[in-house]
Order: sequence, then C-alpha cells, then structure tokens
Amino acid sequence: MEGFFQALAAGLLIGAVYGLMCVGLGLIFGVMRVINFAHGDFMMLGMYAAFYLFTAAGIQALFGNTVGPFVAILLAGPVLAVFGYFVHLALISRVSGTRTASLEGEGHYAQLILTLGIALILQNGGLIVFGSVLASIRTPLSSSAWELVPFFDISIFLNKARSIDAIVSLAIMILLSLLITRTRIGKSLRAAADNPTAATYMGIDVDRAHRIAFALGCGITAIAGGLLATNYPFHPFVGLEYVIVMYAGVVLGGMGSIIGAFWGGMTIGLVQQMSTLILPTQLQNAAIFAVFLLIIFFRPQGFFGRMVERT
Amino acid sequence: MLRIEGLSAGYSAKPVLNDVSINVGAGQFVAIVGPNGAGKTTLFKTISGIVKPSGGEITFDGIDLLAVPPPQRAHLGIAHVPEGRQVFPSLTVMENLEMGAMTESGRRDWQANIERIFEWLPVLKERRNQFAGTMSGGQQQMLAIGRGLASSPKLLMLDEPSMGLAPSTADFIFERLIDIRRQSGLTMLLVEQRVAEALESADHGYVLEAGHVVLEGNNDTLRADDRVRKAYLGM
Repeated sequence: MEGFFQALAAGLLIGAVYGLMCVGLGLIFGVMRVINFAHGDFMMLGMYAAFYLFTAAGIQALFGNTVGPFVAILLAGPVLAVFGYFVHLALISRVSGTRTASLEGEGHYAQLILTLGIALILQNGGLIVFGSVLASIRTPLSSSAWELVPFFDISIFLNKARSIDAIVSLAIMILLSLLITRTRIGKSLRAAADNPTAATYMGIDVDRAHRIAFALGCGITAIAGGLLATNYPFHPFVGLEYVIVMYAGVVLGGMGSIIGAFWGGMTIGLVQQMSTLILPTQLQNAAIFAVFLLIIFFRPQGFFGRMVERT
Repeated sequence: MLRIEGLSAGYSAKPVLNDVSINVGAGQFVAIVGPNGAGKTTLFKTISGIVKPSGGEITFDGIDLLAVPPPQRAHLGIAHVPEGRQVFPSLTVMENLEMGAMTESGRRDWQANIERIFEWLPVLKERRNQFAGTMSGGQQQMLAIGRGLASSPKLLMLDEPSMGLAPSTADFIFERLIDIRRQSGLTMLLVEQRVAEALESADHGYVLEAGHVVLEGNNDTLRADDRVRKAYLGM
C-alpha cells in the first residue's frame, strides 16, 4: 500500500514535468500543424543552456547551489525561445504557414526532412560543442526529501528537487493557459490554428503567429528539459529519448489540444512510475506504450481531441 | 473607394478572372452576381490577397492594394465575410467577434460596435459564450457578419451570405443586411447567387460570367435587361 502511494506521488511529480514538456510540442503542432522532429533536441539545448547559465554565467556565484539551478532553468526558457524564433524565421517559415499552398503535400514532406535535418545538426553539433560526457544540474535538493504522512500508518517521501520541478511546471502551465485563453495574442494564435485564411482576413499575420507559437513552444520545452536535468543526467543525444514520449503525450492529449498535451504527459509520467509496482524497471517504457495503445484503441482522438470536421 | 482595373487572376496558367474592372463608390451597395464558377470568390480572394493576380490594379482609398501584404489589408478597413462563413470553430462567439476587432479602429470602437452588433443580431448576444463550431449554419453566418462589422470597416465584402441556408434564414439575413446598411451607411460589396434579392437592394450591379464582366448598370438597367431576366430572374 505504501509502495502504491509512493509510486503515485512520484508519477504525479514527474508527470507534471512531462506534461510541460509535451505542451511545448503540442503548442507548435496545434498552432502550426508542423511535426517538429527536432523538438527533443531543442530540449537538449535547453538543458545545456541551463547548465552553462548556472556554471559559466555567474548564476551559481550569485544565487548559490540551491536556488541557482532553478534561476538558470527559468532563464534557459527565454534563451531557447529566441533561438526558436530565429530557427523559424530562417528555416521553418520557408516550408510552413502561408508558404504551404505552393508546396507538395501542403509542405509536410519538406517539413519532415527539414526538422529531421535540424535534429541531426543539433545532435552532432552538440557532440562537437558540449562533448559526450554526461552533464547534470544537480542541486542539494536532488538528494533530499520531504516526508509526507497522509494517513496514520503510511509515509511518502517526496524528493525536494522533483517537488519543486513539479510546482514550477504547474505554475508555467497556469501562466500559459491564461495567455492562451485570456489574452489577445493567445486568442489570435488559436484563431490562426483554427482557420489560417480567415485569420488573415481578420488582419492576423499568420506567419508571425506561427513564429510566436514556435518560440513559445521551444522556450517551454527548454524549461521542462532543465527541470528534468535536476534529476537525470543528459548528453547531446538525450533528445531522442524524450521526443517519443513527447509525441505519445501530444497524441494522448488529442492532436491540436494544447491543454490536452499536459494531461497526456501527466498520464505518461503516472504510467511510467506506477508500472514499477508490477513490472521490472527495464519495462517502464514498454508499459508506457502498452497503455498508450490501449487508450488510443478506445479513444483514437485522445483525451481532448475532437472528431469534428475542420471548416 | 475600391477601384479594380483590368484584373486577371487564377490558380494556374488559365486565368479565372479575365480583365475585370469594378468600381465601388463610398457609401454604395454594389452587387456582383453570376453563376457558379464565374470567379466571384476568386475576385474576393484577390482583393484580400489570398490569390495573387497576374495583371491589373486594385486601389482602395487611393492606396495601391496589391502592394499591401495580405494581413495588413484588414487594417486598411476591408472586412471580408468569406464564403462558407469560416468562423473560428474552437473559439466562442465573443472571441470570434474579438478577432474581428483586431484592427486599430475595431479596438477603439469595440464597446459601441459590440452594442450595435448585438442589437442587429441578437442571437449572438444570447450565445456569446458558445463555441462557434457548435452553432447552426445561419447562426454562423450571422457571426461571420458580426465579426466583419466588429472591425469598424470602411468596406464590408460579403461572399454569398445565403449559401447553404434555408430560404427563410437567408431572407432574414438579407433583411438584416439591408437594415445594417440603412442605419450605418456602410459601403458594401456583395457577391450573391440569389440574383433577384441582390439586385433589388443594390445601387449598382455587375454580372460576372466565366471570368468576364458581361454586364453592369444600376438595378433598373440590369433588371430590364433581357438576358438577366431570362437567365437569373426566371421571367
């Protein structure tokens, strides 16, 4: 019984970070309808950005070992958002948005090749620049825990770093959903996603909306990556390990639903941690995809996907 | 206000529009009628910049419209109520109207505009928190019109507002449009297949067939024309 609650808590904590990671990708897919294979590698860059901001940019000296990593992780978001903004401006915008009308297969083939190419360049470029040694952003909090006693005879240990990771993820998620649902810019992103042509008639610059979505998506996933790095070491090819989980989360949440991607990621975190109760750890990822297939079998549109014709 | 001069446009080598010239004066209500495939929607898409013309000129308020990037055209005061309504299905009615008001003038006049829109199209007020995708075709058409009006346009372009609607709903929407025009004095450009209704209320009409303007004139001239009577009015 104690094991069950312990796994549930661990699943919720990691699930919140996975959720945030998936939301970054879900935002890009939802608004732009571009399958970004390089998203895991943008996350890898986010991890290294947080790492170097912490160690080399003086944040460690300024904020110390406990608070410092989280400051660096939060700053990695804007850094990757700017990077994503220019990647979209220079490359992605050439095969997406208003350009798709003149491309074969609505630009999807070109998008596939381009994002795969970007992924390869980032992975191998990362290997040259960062080297192959494992890096990590460990804090003293990564190896200490709070003890929680929800019932009189059960106690659960919450890793402090992971708990803060989850809280940061939730806070960013809340800010993002406020941005998407309440602000003019968020509404215009949704309008551009719903119907790019009609959005143009309204005076919305669809390519600019896509650029904002891409930058935001990169920044959000970079923060999620930094948070994961407080507990998991990383290397230039780490994106490959996560990009599949990201896509599974986005599909589970419902393609096109930004909030859904969060719950998709949460589900994956829960399944991953809960599966350790009955399966050996090596089968964690197999369990994720078994549950994934099961859910998709009964609900092909995902949790929040709608089976409506797009007008 | 809107001058189209010798416009040719299309999607491939064969043009859909061929040397089309149309003039809309300030405060006028101009109707363009014609059969399916005549190029009416392509004409609107060219004005909005979704289709690139192969020749000719469009000037709006003295500005060379073809030099203005498509998303900027709404900001000049052109509201396009597109064929098939094209509301934003996952946005609420209110959010759809807010999207209409993305223009500077739309933002400035938001309060006054929204009151007038709700007065003209009360169903939008009743359903303001409903998702646009869950509304009926007639309600979506009213929303598309409201969304166009929310931008405080100088020119309202309506592409077949009666398409796919029950005749009684289409009649209602036509009456509303005429009320709106009478009360606001707004310049309107209407494309329509319901020729009799369109010509009845318009100041000036054009007949577009196979990409050419075959006839133009005020409503009496057109309705007196034998070809229009035979082909469109069934007389």
